[in-house]
Amino acid sequence: MTTLTRSNMECIITIELGTNAVRVFAFDLAGNVVASSKGSYPTFHSQPDYSEQDPEQIFITMLYVLKNLITEKLHPKKYDIRSICFLASMHSLLAIDKHGVPLGNLITWADNRGKREANDLKNSDFGKVIYNATGTPIHPMSPLVKIAWLKNHDPERFNKAYKFLSMKSYIVQQLTGEYVIDYSLASATGLLNIHTIAWESQSLDFAGITSERLPQLMSVFSSPGKLRKEFQTSLGLSPDTRIMIGSSDGCMATLGAGIWREDKATVTIEDSGAVRIVGKEVLKDEKQRFFNYLITNNCYVSGGPTNNGGVVFEWFAKQFGDFSVPFDTEQIIEGLIRDASNVSAGSNGLLYLPYLLGERAPLWNANARGSYFGINIKHERSHFIRATIEGILYEIYSIGKILQEHREINSLSVNGSFATIPFCTQLMADIFNKPVHTVANFSSAARGAFLLNAIDMGIYPNLEAAAGSTPFQETIQPRQQDHQVYARYFKIFEKLSVKLEEEFEEIANLQQGVE
Amino acid sequence: MNQFYFHHEHSSELAGFPHISEIGIRKITNIQLDSLVTTTTTSIRIYYILDGKFEWSINDRCYVLYPGDLAIILPGQKFGGARGFMDIGTVCWLSLEVNQTDQHKKMIVGNWSGLSKTERLTISKILQLNNTSVLVRVKDAHTILQTIKDELSQQEVAYATRVNHLIDELLILIVRQSTYQMNLRRDFPQTFTKLEQTLREDLARQWTVEEMAALIGLGTTAFSEKVKNYTGFSPLNYLINIRISEAIKLLRRQEMSITTIALETGFYSSQHFSTTFKKLTGYTPIEFRKKT
Repeated sequence: MTTLTRSNMECIITIELGTNAVRVFAFDLAGNVVASSKGSYPTFHSQPDYSEQDPEQIFITMLYVLKNLITEKLHPKKYDIRSICFLASMHSLLAIDKHGVPLGNLITWADNRGKREANDLKNSDFGKVIYNATGTPIHPMSPLVKIAWLKNHDPERFNKAYKFLSMKSYIVQQLTGEYVIDYSLASATGLLNIHTIAWESQSLDFAGITSERLPQLMSVFSSPGKLRKEFQTSLGLSPDTRIMIGSSDGCMATLGAGIWREDKATVTIEDSGAVRIVGKEVLKDEKQRFFNYLITNNCYVSGGPTNNGGVVFEWFAKQFGDFSVPFDTEQIIEGLIRDASNVSAGSNGLLYLPYLLGERAPLWNANARGSYFGINIKHERSHFIRATIEGILYEIYSIGKILQEHREINSLSVNGSFATIPFCTQLMADIFNKPVHTVANFSSAARGAFLLNAIDMGIYPNLEAAAGSTPFQETIQPRQQDHQVYARYFKIFEKLSVKLEEEFEEIANLQQGVE
Repeated sequence: MNQFYFHHEHSSELAGFPHISEIGIRKITNIQLDSLVTTTTTSIRIYYILDGKFEWSINDRCYVLYPGDLAIILPGQKFGGARGFMDIGTVCWLSLEVNQTDQHKKMIVGNWSGLSKTERLTISKILQLNNTSVLVRVKDAHTILQTIKDELSQQEVAYATRVNHLIDELLILIVRQSTYQMNLRRDFPQTFTKLEQTLREDLARQWTVEEMAALIGLGTTAFSEKVKNYTGFSPLNYLINIRISEAIKLLRRQEMSITTIALETGFYSSQHFSTTFKKLTGYTPIEFRKKT
C-alpha cells in the first residue's frame, strides 16, 4: 500500500476511441475516476452499405477533449500524469500514403461494402483455414475483407496505400510518429495468426499485400515511444509521460467487468452487444460463429457479437414514444420501461425478433430482419414494448447458449448502457437463469485499460488479480417462475430465427431492390 | 370566404405597403389553359389552399396540395401549375417583395418588418437552407391571412402596424413549421448529423448559434445543452473542431495558401487560424505543413 500513499496525486489517463465518440478518463492509482470527458464525431453513410468517419476529425476531437481534461480538470488539482493508455473499437481500416496522409475516410466496423468478398471467402475451404488461424469471423466487418474489397474495387487507393492502419494506429502515429498496432487489436483484423502472434501469410495473400504494408506488432503493454515535442508542449505533459499502446474496447470491457474466470461470462450491451468469456484456449467452432481475440500470450477473449442491442430499443422509442418534448429520448425510454414492467414475463405471448440490422452471432446472416410474432387482439402497446426488450435479450441469450456448448457458465457480469438498465439486468438473470453481477456505473472498458496500465506499473501482479479488484455492486438472482416462462418462449424464438432464413433473404432482396 | 384581390398598382388598400405586391382569395370554377404557366418569381409567394386539389411544380419538383396545405416559393425559384393551368378550387395568396442583398442570392425582408436585422437574416437563411416548398396542415396561416385582409379592408386605428406584424408572424410560423417538418425532433444524432453536413458544406460562413439552433428547430438554450450532452462540446467549439479538421486536409494537399485555407474554413484571418490551430495541435499551420 506504500505506493498508493506516496503517489496519490498521480494519475493514469485512458483514451477510448469508440465508434461514435472519444472518451477520456483519468484514474488515480487506486482506480478511482478523478475526471472524465467525451467528444463525439459523426459517421457518414454516403451509400447504403458504407460507414465512414473523418480521421482528422477524430484526431482533433481527441486532442481537444484530452487538452481540456488536462488543463481544466487535472492541472488545477495538481495531478501528475504518469501514463496514457489507448483502447479503440475494433475492425476499422484507414489507408495512408507514404507521407502518412489518409487516402479517403476511415472505414468503420459497421461498413458492409465487402459483403461479396466475405461470402465468397467464408464459403471456401480457404476461409475455414483463415478463420482457424486468425480467430476473426469472416465478415465484411473484418479489415482483411475490407482490404480485399479495396483491391478489387478501388485499385487506385489500394496501390497508393503505403500502409493499412486501424483508427488507433493512425492516432498513435500522429502523436508519436510510429506505425504500431497491439496484438489485441491486430487479432480482430483477420490478418493476425493468434497462435503464433505474427501476421498470417495466407491472410496477406488473400488481401494481396505484404506485412510491410501493416503497422508493427507489439504487446498491449508496450510503448510506441514518446509524445512528439509539440504535443508535450501544447498538452502540458512531461517527456516522461509513458504512452502505452493498450488494447481493444471489447477486450478491455471484459477485463474491466471484473471477470477473469473460465466459468463466468460478460455481457456488454450498448447500441450493439456481445457475450464474452475468457480462457487460455481458443474456442473451436465448426460453424465459425465465435471470435477469438488475444489479450496477451495464451490469453483469449472469445464470444459472439450482436448488431441489435440498445439501438433496436432506441429505434422503437423514436417511432412509438410520445415526443411531447423534442429529442428527449432518455425520458421517453424511461417511460417505456415503466410501461413494460406492468406486463408479465413473456408479454402474454407476443414474441419479437430484433434483427433490424441483420445479425452476426449466432445467425451470421446479414439478411435477417425484425418481426413481431403471435400478435392477438388483446395485445396492447405495452406488450409491444416489453416484447421488444425481451426479444433483444433472447438474442443475447442465444449467443450465451451456444457458448455454453463449449464452456460451463455459472454467472454473468453486465455492462453497457442498455444492459445496466435495472429492468434489463433482471430480465437477463431470469432468461439465463444465472446470477448477474453489476459493477459500479462507469465505463468498464476504460477501467480495463486502467487495469492494464496498473499491471504494467506493478500495482497488480497479473490479469486475474487486476480483474478481481473491480468490486461487484450488486448481484441479481434469477426468478424461477419467470425463467420457466421465458424458456418456453425462447424455444419458439430460436426456431423462428432459423426457420425464416429463406423469407429473410427474399424480403431483404426486395428491400434492396434486387429482382 | 369571399373572393378579393388587391394589387399594389391599382388597389388603394395597399398604398402604404410597397412590400405587398398582391394579396387575394380566388375561387376557380373552371379550367383555363395556360392560366398558370411556369415562371421564375422575384418575390416571396405564399399560397394557402382552402378548397380543392392543386398540382403544382415548384423549383422543378411536383407537389399535390390539399386544403390546409401551404406553399412557399422563394425569389429565384420556378413556379407553375403541373399542367400549366390553375386547378379547380379555392386558394388564398400573398406576394411579398424582398431586398436581394448581394450576388449570393441572399434575400432579406425590408425595414417595414418589426424583426431585428439578425432575425430577418436568419429567417431568410433558414428558408433557403430548408428549401421546404410545401407545409402540410398549417391552419394558423389561414387565420393570419384572413386577418391581414380584414385589417387592410377595415383600416381601423394602427392597422398599418398590425398588418406588418401579422406578416412577420406568418413568416415566423412558416420558418418554424418548415424546420419541424424536416426534423421530426425525435432523433437528435440523426438531426445533428444533418446539421453537421450543412455546416461542412459552407464552412466559410460565420455561423451563429442562433442559426444552427433554428436549423434544428430548437431554442438556443435547449440546442446548446443538447449539443453539449451529445458531442461534449459547445456548438461553437464543435464548429471549430470541424474547421480545424477540414483545414488539416487542405494543409496536407499543399496547394492553397495559409490565408486561403483560413478563410475557406471560416477563420477571420490567417492570424486567427494560426493561433487556434497551434493552441489545439501544438503546431502552427506552417510547421504542420512542413511536417507532412
